[in-house]
Amino acid sequence: MNASGIKFGLGVYTTLFLVFLYGPLVVLAILSFQTGPEGGPQFPIIEWSTYWYKHLFGLTPPSRIAPLPIDQGLGRSMLLAMMTMVVSTILGVTAAQAFRRRFTGSGVVFYLIVLGMMVPGVLVGLGMALVANTLGIERHWWGTAFVLHVVYTFPFAFLVMLAIFNRFDSSVEEASWSLGVSPARTFRKITFPLIFPGVLSAMLFAFTLSYDEFSRTLFASGRDLTLPLAIYGTFSVEVHPNVFAFGVLTTLFSFALLSVYAVLMGLSVRRAKRIAVQEEA
Amino acid sequence: MTMTAVTEEIKTEKAAAKSSSGKTLWLLAPGVLWMLLFLVLPLAMMLYVSFWTQTTFKIEPTLTLKSWITFFTSDTYLGALWTTVRIWLIVLAATVVVGYPAALFVGLFVKNKTLQTVLLVLCVIPFWTSFLIRVLAWRPMLGKEGAINMILMKIGIISQPIEVLLFSELSVIIGMTQIYCVFMVGPIAFMLGRIDPSIIEAAKDLGAGFWRIFRTIILPLSMPGVVVGAIFVSVMVLGEFATSAALSGRKVNLLGNIIVTQVGSLKWAFAAVAGVVLTILMGAVVAALLRVVDLRKEL
Repeated sequence: MNASGIKFGLGVYTTLFLVFLYGPLVVLAILSFQTGPEGGPQFPIIEWSTYWYKHLFGLTPPSRIAPLPIDQGLGRSMLLAMMTMVVSTILGVTAAQAFRRRFTGSGVVFYLIVLGMMVPGVLVGLGMALVANTLGIERHWWGTAFVLHVVYTFPFAFLVMLAIFNRFDSSVEEASWSLGVSPARTFRKITFPLIFPGVLSAMLFAFTLSYDEFSRTLFASGRDLTLPLAIYGTFSVEVHPNVFAFGVLTTLFSFALLSVYAVLMGLSVRRAKRIAVQEEA
Repeated sequence: MTMTAVTEEIKTEKAAAKSSSGKTLWLLAPGVLWMLLFLVLPLAMMLYVSFWTQTTFKIEPTLTLKSWITFFTSDTYLGALWTTVRIWLIVLAATVVVGYPAALFVGLFVKNKTLQTVLLVLCVIPFWTSFLIRVLAWRPMLGKEGAINMILMKIGIISQPIEVLLFSELSVIIGMTQIYCVFMVGPIAFMLGRIDPSIIEAAKDLGAGFWRIFRTIILPLSMPGVVVGAIFVSVMVLGEFATSAALSGRKVNLLGNIIVTQVGSLKWAFAAVAGVVLTILMGAVVAALLRVVDLRKEL
């Protein structure tokens, strides 16, 4: 009686908690359908319209509200996230592979890598800007900002791969080696398929973290804005519902990415199952 | 004969160990080098530049303590330091208070694994929206004509809109709590899920009430989760500047905001001092929390 009462109470609380998490986003999504250009970012909804979505793509007649500078930023952010994804996944896999063996100084190396996700972006960003200034290197999103993005996402990839390798049965690899298969081929044929779900997760982490990252980019990139920097620029001025419409669209994009991930993950799990069945037969 | 065989064996073993350690080195080298060059070097540079001489628009590599003295004698900077510590402590407490009951429900009371996963995924989904958009989403919620004031006025709890909701310290705390409390819920729920149900059964059979079980079993066993969550939340809140920039209307200046404004006016040395102070603060907090729990063991 008592326990079920507590369970009920906590259930109600958790529902409220989810409302707290989602409330602002729901309000933002509703307000993105405010009429324009005279409708502001608040209730009541004067008239439902998709004006601000059109405004985002420059399909509306010019008004006093400047369009968000996102067209170029989008491309830059995508490319940056791609580059970050590739490099940090490779670094993550190799570093985690090294950690499968015990070696002296592993504790120091572990904390050095994890430090990358702990140190706030504003600090590494500032440090990088100072280094670039001193060495006379020009700051660019594809240079100084890119290396900082990898510093941030590489630890995530590393930790994911570490968790994968922890549950990894290395006798399969050893069997392959003892049958005379070269290490490179063993990695391609045995190790990689086994760790693929981890690699996929690491890539997903790296891409989304980099795509959304801005405190590292703020100081380390030059004049060219990435997407988050373009949004950050709207903080200081009056907010219009076009930012909200943009928020809805990026969220949808993230979900699309997540579904691609889910499909690939499902495929790899199914393939693993099929191989297991073949082996049994 | 046997001696040579043994020495041969030792030799090959040594060679194998050598080649494997060589391989480890090659596997580690790129990652470690990357971190040294792009993480350790920038932080060291920040420390170094904090002792440089600041002129109006430039910094010169003449070592001086002037920026440090300016920092610790200026009310603005000390105020920012104090605000950072205060907001951090409040948000940390708020995330525990808000997050713990939800984690308790998800981790311990929901026995159905599917429902548990669904609830955890629901907590994570908001992270698929841009961080800046999530911060900005609080503006139409908290504003004078915002959703909360509108609802409260409609149901007649208040007759005047509450103005303190937006562009105040309160709005920064609300925003940060919402954004970061999931980092508290996750680790706590994880630790709670690992509690052996038979322990709780045994306590029940021995006649312990819920509060007794909570105090003596659940709370102590979930503490590592709280500490891990606290590390996440602390690191993120201490390095914050966007939430306060978006929601406080420049009323709340954290150390992060100081760094951004100083860089904006090319006061690199002052920014570096603020950065070093922030690093020391964060290092002390994380070191203290890591003393309580070994992060590597909990993974």
